[in-house]
Amino acid sequence: MPSLVEFLQSIVNGVGVGLIYGLVGIGFCVIYNASGIVNFAQGVFVMLGGMVCETLLSQLGIPLIVAVVLTIPLVAISGIVMELAIVRPMMHRGATLFAIILATLAAQIMIERITLLTFGDRPRTYHEFTTGGPLKIGDVAIGYQLFWILGCGALLVLLLWLFFTRTRTGRALRACSQNREAAQLLGIPVARMMLIAFALSAALGAIAGILVTPTQYTAYNVGTPFGVNGFIAAIIGGFGRAGGALAGGLLLGVLQALAIVALGAGFKNVAALSFLLVVLLFFPNGLFAGFGKSAKAH
Amino acid sequence: MTSHVTTSIEPTGIRWQSILPIVAVLALAAVGFVSSDYIVTVLGFAFIYAIFCTGLNFFMGYTGQASFGQSAFAAIGGYGSAILCTDYGWEPLLALFATMVLSGVAAVLVGYPTLRLRGHYLAMATFALGLIVYEITIEWTALTQGYMGYSGVPPLGVAGFTLDTLKQQLVVLVVISLIGVGIAARLRQSRFGRALASIAGSESAARALGVDIARYKLIAFVIAALYASAAGSLFAHFVGFISPEVYGTTMVIQSFAMLYLGGIGTMWGPMIGAIIVSILPETMRGLKEMQDIAYTAVLILILIFAPRGLAGLSVLFRRTRVRVLEKA
Amino acid sequence: MALLSVREETMRFGGLFANQSISFDVEEGELLAVIGPNGAGKTTLFNVISGFFPPTSGSIHFDGEEITGKSSHHVASAGLVRTYQLVQLFKQLTVAENVEIGSHRVTRGGVFSALFRPEWMRQQEKSVTEGARDLLRFVGLEHQADMMADTLPYGRQRLLEVARALAAKPRLLLLDEPAAGLNTQETEALAEVITRIHQAGTTIILIEHDMSLIMKIAQRIVVLDFGKKIAEGTPDEIKAHPDVIAAYLGGTETVDA
Repeated sequence: MPSLVEFLQSIVNGVGVGLIYGLVGIGFCVIYNASGIVNFAQGVFVMLGGMVCETLLSQLGIPLIVAVVLTIPLVAISGIVMELAIVRPMMHRGATLFAIILATLAAQIMIERITLLTFGDRPRTYHEFTTGGPLKIGDVAIGYQLFWILGCGALLVLLLWLFFTRTRTGRALRACSQNREAAQLLGIPVARMMLIAFALSAALGAIAGILVTPTQYTAYNVGTPFGVNGFIAAIIGGFGRAGGALAGGLLLGVLQALAIVALGAGFKNVAALSFLLVVLLFFPNGLFAGFGKSAKAH
Repeated sequence: MTSHVTTSIEPTGIRWQSILPIVAVLALAAVGFVSSDYIVTVLGFAFIYAIFCTGLNFFMGYTGQASFGQSAFAAIGGYGSAILCTDYGWEPLLALFATMVLSGVAAVLVGYPTLRLRGHYLAMATFALGLIVYEITIEWTALTQGYMGYSGVPPLGVAGFTLDTLKQQLVVLVVISLIGVGIAARLRQSRFGRALASIAGSESAARALGVDIARYKLIAFVIAALYASAAGSLFAHFVGFISPEVYGTTMVIQSFAMLYLGGIGTMWGPMIGAIIVSILPETMRGLKEMQDIAYTAVLILILIFAPRGLAGLSVLFRRTRVRVLEKA
Repeated sequence: MALLSVREETMRFGGLFANQSISFDVEEGELLAVIGPNGAGKTTLFNVISGFFPPTSGSIHFDGEEITGKSSHHVASAGLVRTYQLVQLFKQLTVAENVEIGSHRVTRGGVFSALFRPEWMRQQEKSVTEGARDLLRFVGLEHQADMMADTLPYGRQRLLEVARALAAKPRLLLLDEPAAGLNTQETEALAEVITRIHQAGTTIILIEHDMSLIMKIAQRIVVLDFGKKIAEGTPDEIKAHPDVIAAYLGGTETVDA
């Protein structure tokens, strides 16, 4: 039976990693809303964010703030390349949804292997943004990085909200998610919107990766768990809703942290994936959508 | 404008089209038979994958759905056979069928609820299934021996007669895979197969013609699971050793590359793809560590430029012929 | 007793009534047309009858049996077969295979009979192939049997869809704007095919915009406007009906277009 301290500690840890899942989940939603595509390679952006940042920081000795400022656009470019090189030509040729999803999965594996060849399989990490800590409240330890994650996460959510409600581009992106053909007729450049969606989504993943790496490590293969958990977060939140994805991420993070205490670290992914299956079966529109509509085909 | 010539493909054409691949496969197996054990092993993998892909083709090709977690059923087959034969001394053939039943039951349990879901949900749910089984093979060490894997799995055999050499096993694998293709062809050319194809074509039209979509999707999913399970078991017996990595994501992506290269939804496509994808990397040994990159690159290129694969070329050929005749 | 009877059928999407309290009967052997301006709720009515979604309220009986809310493949199995406003062919299959799939409802057999091919199965396969060939001849597509369905010109795709529906040997055939997008010549060919199907004894409900086609072949007409039934009667009665004239003059189409 886990003690109260263990319990509280795992909730604290769960919130931190859950926020990261939420950011990845939002990344899924942004692309899905703009294009109807589920980008399986979403987790790769998290991995790239951590790897690139680590390389700039530790290998090249660039100061943190500069490294972050460089990493985000670099990873965003990888998203743009993915859209231009894979998704766009497939859409032009009228490929099926499955084929495009499959291609993004292939892209993920390809990027992982290329990373493995370039950087090796050594796990890497770097310092927390603020050294010192952790903050002790009773017996519960809260690392300083968690505050960075929470702070940056909240700031990002605010910025995203402003972007989607206050800017022309953001509103156009939302129009695309309502109805792509109608958006096209209204003169919204749908193709450019998709490019923006991929760039934005990759940037979100990169930020998540930069933030989370100090609390664990990054390696060529960390993308899949982040991608899968981010996707689960998005589904819990009712696919396509950014706020839902964030809440779903937090819920999943806490749940997983508790599963680690109860079942052991090895089964944390089994727990998360089983949770996904349960949600898919009983709440296909997400936990926060009620029972009303179902996700049955047509 | 149209004339009498286009009514049907002449019977000789059908015979030619179905016999040539069999001859090619047998010739290939014969070449393997007189070659080194290394080549026999490569060919053995190719035919095991051919079985896996022929099954997957039911679900992804004929029925037009996507399963990213078929490796889960191969793992059930492989680990089931390994455990039953090594620890409990079962007959390999008996274990093969028993694990197929187990996989079939698992497919019904997983498929019944998930197949109602929309496309990308289904893709993710099956992907999750594959990952869950993969994690279990690693973590449930008491059952699976974790990363260590299971070794000493006996070769295939029946009633005391075992296939001791790789070459004998290759012959059996070739025969089994041909039977697999034969079953697929029979099922496809029937009321059942047409119902599957109607789902791939247009679900709403299929429904309006009285096709019970959920039921046929489930049956196709189960058939694919049975093939996958058999392939998983055969792998365990052929190599004698299995580990979690055997049934990991690489298996999924590799089988997709095979399916799409050979031609998804066609009769011989899965086998053609399996053979090519298995043999090609061996011709470029230096690329060993680049293998996955090569698979994924090839897969992406095919998906973009030739989504119907190599076997699709024969359809093109047939179509142009019809058009030419029409003009005549 | 009527073959199909629709009672007080209402379909609401959010606050919008797509169909409101619609009732009508279709007798065995009849050719009924459903007309109305765009957005009058005709396709919704078809979708409800054919089980694509359950009505908000009301009931539908087919051949004495209640089919309200039953799933579409059940409804189809009972013999109520529909076509779509936008052609829904199995594009990657041949013309002949499209029609062969149509016979799903009137054939039997699953995995095991497909695998072991008992005598009855071989007989059935033969009759499916021959039946498909006959139907293709019936609609004039016998020379395109081995073409891929999506390579057919649009007008012929329409005919193929009708042939495929006929392969299901429907007791009631619902045709949703079969003449949409066809030129005059193709429309005439289609009208002839529909008349022949009707003469062969199949009950038909037809949604159509082409008034000349309706007036020529329909025996009875139901008129919808804003989700309600505003008139029902023979073509001559409908032409003279004041509400119908008002609805059409208010809309974009005219009765004798």
